[in-house]
Amino acid sequence: MRSFHVTLVLLALGFSQAALATPDSELGRHHEDAAALPSAAAASKRYQAFVADLSEINVAIVGVKGMVCDFCARGIEKAFKKDKFVRKVDVDLANGQVLVAYSLDKMIDQREISQKILANGQNVTAVAIVKI
Amino acid sequence: MFALELAARPISYSGGSTVMAFSNNMQDSVYYHYSPNHRLSLGVEAVNNKYTDQNYTYWRATYLLNRKNSQHSQRNVYLEAGISSQGSNQGFASVHYDWETRRWFSGFGVKRVSDHATDYSETFFKVGIAPYLGEYGDLHTWLLLKRKRDTRLEHWLTYPVLRFFKGNFFMEIGYKSEIEWDTHLMFRF
Repeated sequence: MRSFHVTLVLLALGFSQAALATPDSELGRHHEDAAALPSAAAASKRYQAFVADLSEINVAIVGVKGMVCDFCARGIEKAFKKDKFVRKVDVDLANGQVLVAYSLDKMIDQREISQKILANGQNVTAVAIVKI
Repeated sequence: MFALELAARPISYSGGSTVMAFSNNMQDSVYYHYSPNHRLSLGVEAVNNKYTDQNYTYWRATYLLNRKNSQHSQRNVYLEAGISSQGSNQGFASVHYDWETRRWFSGFGVKRVSDHATDYSETFFKVGIAPYLGEYGDLHTWLLLKRKRDTRLEHWLTYPVLRFFKGNFFMEIGYKSEIEWDTHLMFRF
């Protein structure tokens, strides 16, 4: 199991994002409240798979509202992949979550992330940054 | 004639372009639009009107009047207008609404057309279900039922529509014996 240093920043917009608004220790290890938060475990498995082949990166875990359609979410992946510092993107429709792996050279700007999501027509509910 | 109800996804992401092709027993058309932002698309549609045996162009604009994003759904209200290359007194205006989750879809629209041969209006309702929930990147399938009225036909038509999309490709196919095949292809880039 990797050890993570966590910087958790929330853009609280009034909507609970259980998998995101929890510290790193709960992203993949502690789910005492998993029954009440069914999306958390699934999101965590996906997160572990996402970072499995990555190192020396920052991962932005982005909660997104309105991301209900694959075809409508295409612009999110395209927008982030235009950034030369982005190494990998994952779109999780079921949990309304986007994972973005940035090289450590990138100073992650949460407003930039929110703007990219908004430019595709969805809204960000929360952003967590995890350094690996 | 049936372009309105099949014109799903009328606005792309900021900076995105979309090419659509429509074909049915009344007309064939190819439509390109560009979205400078997520609320607006501007485009041009080349139309081969089989009903009037004319070719013309629509300069089109679509505006996202309202969108509500929730964790598991999205609701949209769009306004659309088009002006024909054959005169500013010929064109169309429409409003349409849709609401969808990953499982369910519903849509409604009204379109008023001042055509080259006659003025008419269209109204449609559409409901659909996704028989399975695909992951991002999978082939997605929707089963839809459409009910529509065209004032030139004097009665409502109800027929099934299949929708498929994968990646940047989108396709809808509807069939009704009175209108035969009704197809809509879309590619976004």
